[in-house]
Amino acid sequence: MKKINLCAIETTPPLAGLDRICDMEAGRMAGKVFWDGEIYEQELEKIFARCWLFVAHESQIPNAGDYVATTMGEDEVLVVRQKDLSIKVLINACPHRGNKVCFAEAGNARGFICNYHGWAFGTDGALRGMHESGVYEQSGFDKSQQSLREARVDSYKGLVFATFAEDAPSLAEYLGPMAWYLDVILDNDEGGTEFVGGCIRSTIECNWKIAAENFVGDILHAGWTHDSAAQAMLGGSVTKVSEFPESWQVNWNGHGYEFTRDLVGNAAVLGESGVNKYLHLHRPKAEERLGEFRSKMLGAVSSFTVFPNFSFLPGQNTVRVWQPRGPNKIELYTWVIVNKNAPQEVKDMWRRGAMMTFSPTGVFEMDDGENWEYCTKTSRGKVTRYQDLYVGLGMNTRLTDTDLPGNVFKGQLNEANARAYYQRWKDLLQAGSWAEVPDRNGKLS
Amino acid sequence: MSNLELVSVEEERVAKAFLLREARLLDDERWDDWLLTLSERIHYWMPGIENRRREDGKGAYVEEHMALFDDGFRELQRRVNRFKQPSAWAENPPTRNVHLIGNIEVFAGDEPGQYRVFSTFINVRSRGLDEQYQLAGRREDVLCEEGDGLKLLKRKIVIPNATLPCKNINTFL
Repeated sequence: MKKINLCAIETTPPLAGLDRICDMEAGRMAGKVFWDGEIYEQELEKIFARCWLFVAHESQIPNAGDYVATTMGEDEVLVVRQKDLSIKVLINACPHRGNKVCFAEAGNARGFICNYHGWAFGTDGALRGMHESGVYEQSGFDKSQQSLREARVDSYKGLVFATFAEDAPSLAEYLGPMAWYLDVILDNDEGGTEFVGGCIRSTIECNWKIAAENFVGDILHAGWTHDSAAQAMLGGSVTKVSEFPESWQVNWNGHGYEFTRDLVGNAAVLGESGVNKYLHLHRPKAEERLGEFRSKMLGAVSSFTVFPNFSFLPGQNTVRVWQPRGPNKIELYTWVIVNKNAPQEVKDMWRRGAMMTFSPTGVFEMDDGENWEYCTKTSRGKVTRYQDLYVGLGMNTRLTDTDLPGNVFKGQLNEANARAYYQRWKDLLQAGSWAEVPDRNGKLS
Repeated sequence: MSNLELVSVEEERVAKAFLLREARLLDDERWDDWLLTLSERIHYWMPGIENRRREDGKGAYVEEHMALFDDGFRELQRRVNRFKQPSAWAENPPTRNVHLIGNIEVFAGDEPGQYRVFSTFINVRSRGLDEQYQLAGRREDVLCEEGDGLKLLKRKIVIPNATLPCKNINTFL
């Protein structure tokens, strides 16, 4: 593997007492998980500086010099298309005094120049020159040692991920069999996918995990929380999930997907009949690529989180990163994903439909934000912080006689994915290195 | 933008009164009355704000990119419909709103019976005991004479924030 300039970060010993506040075998945890400065610092170190994190869709940066800015945890990074069309992820901080070298969220650049002392970097992160360069030569300055720091980068069918951990498993190993499920949205058409232009950013005063967990496997909330939006968009309540003939939760390494196979159950809430029509017409083509089983998941009632903080809703095609900003605040980045070959009017329906439903101005999301904020804020109270929270639905519903990949559980109304998510969270916080992270696959209940 | 044509004092007064009444209707949660101020041909648009470099040339927003509102009359009716549901949990207790409207400039529109109206707003929302969110921005409207009065035909809302400082926009701006 290519040598990259990652200085090891200072590590701290795992916190004691995590078992007390997070016991997934019993299906119990405490609100302290959502409200604790020490835990948050450990998360930045042991989760966000360690895991593969989603940073961009390849379609956002098609040409050499194209870049988008994002964050990995709280670390600011630039995702930059190189001259050879490979992608680099560079820390957006000058190795002189640490100032940002790029203040825009996206664009095309020949390089990045720090506003402070004029250090100029190529799009590959190499230091090319400095203001008053003569003075550096007198100090025996070695430019080759002063590049922007790079993260490891890999892609899966258009999605670009990066990690700061040299000892992290490969992205393929990290995603494991969940890649088979990601293909439902990423690979149902020969042209692949793209993001609609732009990104909507908003601020929610909640812990990042409560939002990620909602997408990892909480369809249970939809019928209740989103009743008003369903009435507004469909003129009736959300379909009762308990009445679906078949549905599943699947997970692996903390990632989770909950789904049924009704093709358009999620898509229907957009209130754009053209989207449903597209999915019906497109399904046979998708079946050729994905098989009959997965072709009926395209826009079905479902949701997905890739551990730790990347989520999307098939059908609504809204894509999220829950960017952590302290234990009780997130910045929410929202995009819309569409098939590149879909007709422009269908792409526009998805752009507007996702805005109308699952975005900060969406009628569905209106009722999520307040729930997540108060799931977090109530733990200000010292006593409330240690109150047992129930995460026990669907205990012992694991299916062992199925061909579906991953850890498979019967029924979408289940907290199996939430348990797997928090178990993975705890395992990472308790592990001193990637080698120490236990393999729970096949053993979760 | 180049030739802005002034209108009569009376026309200006009517257009200003339209905007101020609209703000009051929103503050009073008179959603159905608010819908009656809209043309059924309305385009109500609030683009997402992008933080790009000057030389990029795209400016602060792009028409075909992600938006906060990109609505026709049907979408605005749906939003109102949600506000009115007893199960709109995050509206009960209600959000308390103030819409302050200022810097109103009224010009003749591109077509007879239309007005081009610029204004600014500050919207303060409070929920619960202590939540407060403040958004300010500029609006560019087209008002048109329809039926027995003015209706809102087009609205463009531009805020300075590239990241919303709040969890949602549960009002109209």
